[in-house]
Amino acid sequence: MSIFTVFSFFVFVTNASLAIFIFLKNRRKKYNVIWGSLCFFAALWGYAGINFSTTLSPQKALYWWKIGYVGVILTPLLYFHFITEYLKIERKVLLCTAYGLAAFYLTIDLLYTDLFLSDLRFAFNQFYWGDWLKSKSLYYITFYIFFYWVLLPYSFVLLLKKYRRVKGNQKNQLKYFIVGSIVGWFGAECMFLPDFRLDFFHPLPNLFVAIYPAIMTYAIIRYRLMDITMAFTRTSIFLFVYSLVLGIPFAIGFGLQEKLIALFAGLWWVVPLVFSTILATGGPFIYMYLQKSTEDQIYKNQRQYQNTLRKASLGMGRIKDLKRLLSLIVHVVTRTVRIDHCSIYVFHESSGQYVLKAKKDKSVERVAESVFTKDSQLVKYLEKVKEPILYEEVLQRSGETGGRIFGYLAKTMRDLEAALILPSFVEQRLIAFLVLGAKRNKELYNHEDLVVFSILANQSGLAIENAQFYDDMKKTHAQLFKAEKMATIGTMADGLSHQMNNRLHAMGFIAGDALDSVRLKRDQDKPTDTRKFLDELEHSLKRIEDNVKRGGEIAEGLLRYTRKGAEGFSPVHFNKLLDASLEMIQFKINMRNLDLIKDFKDDLPPVKGNFTQLQEAFFNMIDNAYDAMMQRRDELKEPGYRPKLIISAAKKGKNLEILIKDNGMGVKEENITKLFTPFFTTKLSSKKGTGLGLYVIRQIIEENHNGRVKFTSVYLEGSQTSIILPVAELSGQGKKEKPEILLKNVKKFL
Amino acid sequence: MPKMLIVDDEQDIQDFAKRFFEKRDIDVITTGNGHEALLIVQTENPDMILLDVHMEQISGIDVLRRIRESGNQTKVIMVTGVEDEDTINEAKSLGVINYIHKPLVLDELEKVVMAELDVA
Repeated sequence: MSIFTVFSFFVFVTNASLAIFIFLKNRRKKYNVIWGSLCFFAALWGYAGINFSTTLSPQKALYWWKIGYVGVILTPLLYFHFITEYLKIERKVLLCTAYGLAAFYLTIDLLYTDLFLSDLRFAFNQFYWGDWLKSKSLYYITFYIFFYWVLLPYSFVLLLKKYRRVKGNQKNQLKYFIVGSIVGWFGAECMFLPDFRLDFFHPLPNLFVAIYPAIMTYAIIRYRLMDITMAFTRTSIFLFVYSLVLGIPFAIGFGLQEKLIALFAGLWWVVPLVFSTILATGGPFIYMYLQKSTEDQIYKNQRQYQNTLRKASLGMGRIKDLKRLLSLIVHVVTRTVRIDHCSIYVFHESSGQYVLKAKKDKSVERVAESVFTKDSQLVKYLEKVKEPILYEEVLQRSGETGGRIFGYLAKTMRDLEAALILPSFVEQRLIAFLVLGAKRNKELYNHEDLVVFSILANQSGLAIENAQFYDDMKKTHAQLFKAEKMATIGTMADGLSHQMNNRLHAMGFIAGDALDSVRLKRDQDKPTDTRKFLDELEHSLKRIEDNVKRGGEIAEGLLRYTRKGAEGFSPVHFNKLLDASLEMIQFKINMRNLDLIKDFKDDLPPVKGNFTQLQEAFFNMIDNAYDAMMQRRDELKEPGYRPKLIISAAKKGKNLEILIKDNGMGVKEENITKLFTPFFTTKLSSKKGTGLGLYVIRQIIEENHNGRVKFTSVYLEGSQTSIILPVAELSGQGKKEKPEILLKNVKKFL
Repeated sequence: MPKMLIVDDEQDIQDFAKRFFEKRDIDVITTGNGHEALLIVQTENPDMILLDVHMEQISGIDVLRRIRESGNQTKVIMVTGVEDEDTINEAKSLGVINYIHKPLVLDELEKVVMAELDVA
């Protein structure tokens, strides 16, 4: 038992675990199998090492050396094979020769051991092969030169050549292989030194053979094959600390054994034990301290931005304005991480889509996808893995079997020019995701970045939800306030319209009298320029009179509208009703924004109804259609979209059927049934929706007028409201309105 | 010369209506006060009254009622605001010859007045 045994044990454990790990992870690729085999044979070397360093029988030692050499012979060959396979380089002749030679040397090693390994010497407290200077085995030296001085350095040359050519993730992976290989092969080469009686290194090199799989495994698992510097630093510190922890007591134990025995007699071993206990206890702290300070030094810049991001994430919760929050997120990310572009997609509840809400991009040409549906592959994948997606990783996996999803993701990310996509989850719900471009210094995202970004993403999620909630609340407030305001205006409307009417009335008198004066003057002979002047004056005054009349109609309409349902039922003509509704609606909406198509005949029979109530119902229907069309126009931004409202009516049996059809946003199927519920609204913009419109329509049409309302809609295509009202029964033709003696607004009834 | 009483609490209307009808050789008396209007009806005995429904102190309907109560059957044209069934019905029962909606077009009023006064 010696330190060599301990190290051999490490070699065995680390290599065997890596072999198992690789075989379990992916056996489909050829180079994985080769690399796994390499680990397996390195483990065999370790296992043999444990055995030959603990036996005191030369025969047994030789037997295990023989076994161990199976690993020594095969590992450089497998390494070479791996390199050619991984780098896709054809070296068939060399490879076949090497395999042939390996078979040859294996035969000699196992069957004619004397010709290969002999003359074990007792060194380092064990039987150590060997003593080539004594055996002068030709087989051994040729093997050693070919495998360890030709094949191995050649593999390295290939690796380095390739390393200089490639970019991105593969470069990083190669970095791993290079660093790991240097460590491993340095150990292996040094192990040959005692064969030539150069004993100064022993047995430390064997430890290196144990370290390299540790580097690889650590890197593969923890750093998703991204940035080796971090992995390497940590592994080195770890090994440094633990060689101290183990090494110092051993050194004390072995180096000072005699002195300690002299001092403590039989209890001498307590001293190294105490040391090792103290060091082992302190080890993790030393490790952590060293790790932190080293990494702080190496990743100063990275740490800086990570800290900024952390602080930003914490501060985000305080921002209540959604728009500001989102632009802050993209701004902070692009600025601190120094990336080309960044955008954020937020889940839009009513449309079920992830909509591009904020973007920061130096380049103007980049056109980002504006929406992702909930069923898109990207969203589905994010919801499944709940982890950031790296383009490099996705690209690599798209080549694997069953990598179709990755192929799609790679394409999506390529289109977005995204290097990283970060999902934001709040209680398992994907509420947003961030799309990040490549870093400007061309460095790759590493694990530390991802950790910080995940914090950022999740904090963003919470902040976004907060802001959305706050927004909703503000909207509700605004709605309530608006409803209140409308009610106030309603109570004021009566007095207001009277007052306005009085002013108009006075204006009518003044204009009329002035007009009269002008006419009187004109009748007398006047020079032409004066006549012309009077003509113009007359024209202007007539226009004032027209406007006075028109203003009066508006005031009247307003008053009628506020005095709801006071009058009873009477025959109502649909075209008059529609005109009155349009008259009112134009104060709220801009009719020029849409094409209105009236599709009905003038001689429709009147329906039995309350004019004002029906006017309100149609007012609401047109208003809804308008909002839906504006929503589509503003949200979908389709080129060439033109809002179109078709109002048609026709007599169907004893009913009048009216259809109001828009090409607006439409309503999703699951929401249609909720539409008639009071206070339910799908209208999102802050100025819209008390959620009472359709409820009121149904009340008026179905409860008060014995009619029927039917609402159908296709999401993203448009909606249609169909109204059925019973036709009024005309009791005798004599009830026709009397001819008016005076023009329009003076009625004679005596 | 026919005599016309204009009852309206708007000074502008009094002024301009007076000017307008005086140009047509009609004697125009104006007042913005219902009580005063009752006195004028008795003392001046106008041929026609143009009566505004909405007035501050006493409404046009009340003025009309008192005129009729005193047995006076002068022709009355009511000026009403927005259609108000009750007011119009009452005015009808009190025997107005016409009612006219605010705001008016003076030409139209002129036609009615001239027809009723048998001038022109």
